[in-house]
Amino acid sequence: MHMADALLSPAVGGTLWAVSGGLIAFCARKVKQTMQDHLVPLMGVMGAFVFAGQMINFSIPGTGSSGHLCGGLMLAILLGPWAAFLVIASILTIQSLFFADGGVLALGCNIFNMGFLPVFVAYPLYKLITKGRHGSPLAWAASIVSAVIGLVLGAFGVVLETTASGISELPFGSFVLVMLPIHLAIGLVEGLATATVVSFVFRARPEILQAEPEAGIRIRPILVGLAVAALVIGGAFSWFASTHPDGLEWSVVRVSGSEEVAGSNAEIHQHLAGFQRKVAFLPDYGFKAGEAEEEACDAWPSVSAGATVSGLVGGSLTLGLVVLTGLALRLRPVRQAK
Amino acid sequence: MRLADWTEIGRMDELGRMDSPVHRLDPRAKVLVSLVFIVLVMSFPRYEISALVPFLFYPVGLIALARIPMRHIMKKMLIAAPFALLIGLVNPLFDRQPMCSVGPLELSGGWVSFISILFRFVLTVSAALALVAGTGMYRLGAGLERLGLPRVFAMQLLFLYRYLFVISDEAARIMRGVRLRSVGSGALGLRVYGSLVGQLLLRSMDRADRIYQAMVARGFDGEIRLLQQSVPGWCDAVFAGCSLILLGAARVWNLSDLLGIWLAGGVS
Amino acid sequence: MSIPAVAVYDLSYAYPDGTEALRGITFTVEPGLAVALVGANGAGKSTLLQHLNGGLFNARQGEVRIGETVVSRKSVSLVRHAVGMVFQDSDDQLFMPTVAEDVAFGPLNAGLSSEEVERRVESALERVGMTQVRERPPYRLSAGEKRAVAIASVLAMEPEVLVMDEPSANLDPRARRRLIELLRSFGHTRIIATHDLELAVEVCSRVIVLDEGRVVADGPMVGILNDEALMEEHGLERPHILRHMHPHT
Repeated sequence: MHMADALLSPAVGGTLWAVSGGLIAFCARKVKQTMQDHLVPLMGVMGAFVFAGQMINFSIPGTGSSGHLCGGLMLAILLGPWAAFLVIASILTIQSLFFADGGVLALGCNIFNMGFLPVFVAYPLYKLITKGRHGSPLAWAASIVSAVIGLVLGAFGVVLETTASGISELPFGSFVLVMLPIHLAIGLVEGLATATVVSFVFRARPEILQAEPEAGIRIRPILVGLAVAALVIGGAFSWFASTHPDGLEWSVVRVSGSEEVAGSNAEIHQHLAGFQRKVAFLPDYGFKAGEAEEEACDAWPSVSAGATVSGLVGGSLTLGLVVLTGLALRLRPVRQAK
Repeated sequence: MRLADWTEIGRMDELGRMDSPVHRLDPRAKVLVSLVFIVLVMSFPRYEISALVPFLFYPVGLIALARIPMRHIMKKMLIAAPFALLIGLVNPLFDRQPMCSVGPLELSGGWVSFISILFRFVLTVSAALALVAGTGMYRLGAGLERLGLPRVFAMQLLFLYRYLFVISDEAARIMRGVRLRSVGSGALGLRVYGSLVGQLLLRSMDRADRIYQAMVARGFDGEIRLLQQSVPGWCDAVFAGCSLILLGAARVWNLSDLLGIWLAGGVS
Repeated sequence: MSIPAVAVYDLSYAYPDGTEALRGITFTVEPGLAVALVGANGAGKSTLLQHLNGGLFNARQGEVRIGETVVSRKSVSLVRHAVGMVFQDSDDQLFMPTVAEDVAFGPLNAGLSSEEVERRVESALERVGMTQVRERPPYRLSAGEKRAVAIASVLAMEPEVLVMDEPSANLDPRARRRLIELLRSFGHTRIIATHDLELAVEVCSRVIVLDEGRVVADGPMVGILNDEALMEEHGLERPHILRHMHPHT
């Protein structure tokens, strides 16, 4: 579920960073406005609770496996959507920084998939169905239904973002077919876990759950927000999908600041390739590889014969240099210490 | 999250509190360079490998200078790898066009892009881990706040991190109690699970309440103020400037290729 | 007679669920005195402490004065700077990411200049002998160190009155000994709620015994704690240390 950086293009990652960053800023403002100062420590501790709660597993009825709480829907029920979104975003940030669980570039995507969707789509649904009757059979159903919807939407987000990035070759359709059933199951487990914990809390301390609705949300602004987000993201995705099959050129342009750099880059390659043909050792391999190259990657025609061989040699040498540098840097302070 | 992960987070925390030239750099400079690094790495076309190699200098240099055990970073990378690995492995299945050959071996485009994905994974993950292990959560959080992260969120990160250790101790105590009284696996029935996690939840909320009392007792008014941080010095500017120039150069020119060509030229 | 540092008049309080926690508590404490507050669990110690620094102030009747100030919603920020509260669980009190940040929390909230904040942090840590853990995160400290830092975080606000809830809870013998020496060395007015009667004997000269929200005894330490009948009636035990002490000392 956590996306890694390695499969994401900067364009998609950047777009989702912007969306999630905006949401964080927005929710931070909301939390500050409705302040409720006690939320400051409560949010922090609840984030730690979700982490710690994952140490406790339950066996999933009817199967041999076990599951635990992911916590998105639960946080929304306990803290209200604004605070819950910030807590989830902070959990994902810590996971990405300390466990490499989801990349840094992918953080925007992960916050959107696992924060925005459960909190601003699944939770309003939960509220709509239960109308405050926590612990009732209706609430169990609501919790399962909304958790499933939240997770499936999240999985769909993963697929969309990966496909739009164009680094993985996995076709959209089969990716969906793999991801959706898995997340349907995870959603069921999440819904069960959420319902059982919420109903426990409701029995033990009903006032905790009753205190929230005042700070709650109206459905309409959420729907509007969702529509806007969908438009932005859909627009961005379809633009990448149509103009740039792999969304790469655009990002190169963005990073290097102009289209010319990509062009000059290619020129250098061509130029060097020509130079390479004159001076190359192993000319056979170079030529042979070059032909295949030209056919295979029309998306990046600048990769050429010479580039491959010299890339191989230079690449391994560079790798060697990296290792040596690492060792040298490591030795240095020790020598100082002596 | 398993128990072993907690010792891991503790280990990262220890690394983050060491003292080294890297730890002494302004966190903002490190965050900036690391972000640029990740975006640059991911901006390469999907079949690129050789041009990515010089990028290794950055994480390796950072890790070595910060005196972080390389083994530790590698172990963490292995644990995090499966998802990228799994999705990446699909590439050779779908993209079978031959692309280049190394000696008698012919590589399809799918394999090349798979290797490229692995390389990107190693680069981005090691850079992020090096940033955290070479900065520490506190300095990182304070630095992010000064880079414009909303204060509410920066404090949320720091509070969450602060109480991770406390709450996880409580969860571990609960689990120990359960294990002492039950036989078999650690997985529980749904009803027991609900009451255990519910207990943990209520205890956590009570703790939050006491923390709030303690904050109020010392004049908390909704705003959290941090001590003044050091101002960035010329060291930080040099680090950021040089890294950005080198990274930019490695993005524009394929340095591995240039090295190879230069060598080839020299040989013949 | 000087104005008492702390004065409580006829204070009663009931929790929202109706539980009566305090029933007509009255006492005064002279400046610089150390007073122990003892009583079985549920006797109302913690509730009383919360009233002393404005943690709770919607008392049903009666009032609390700190110096000349009556504790009320209006005066609460003044009161919180005059009364430093040390909580029972140091993990609840040390919520900031490093020791230095934590000790600076109160002074920063008071809007002091950064030089003054720095001076306060340094002198508070020095006072409790914890300058060496300045940059450490609180969760990396031993229980004794945590307690000392928690006290420093309160000292940095330069309060006139120190209020403590079970300061020796969870401490090993050596850390407890160090705490006792520290508490004895303070010149502040001290109100210490504790089950650790031996600590009370060493630090305080006066004791107030609470039971069911009432003051059942108030007087010199040794006389009251030696009154075996009184102690047992209110769920307490005559401390062992007194058996070896001469009653007149």
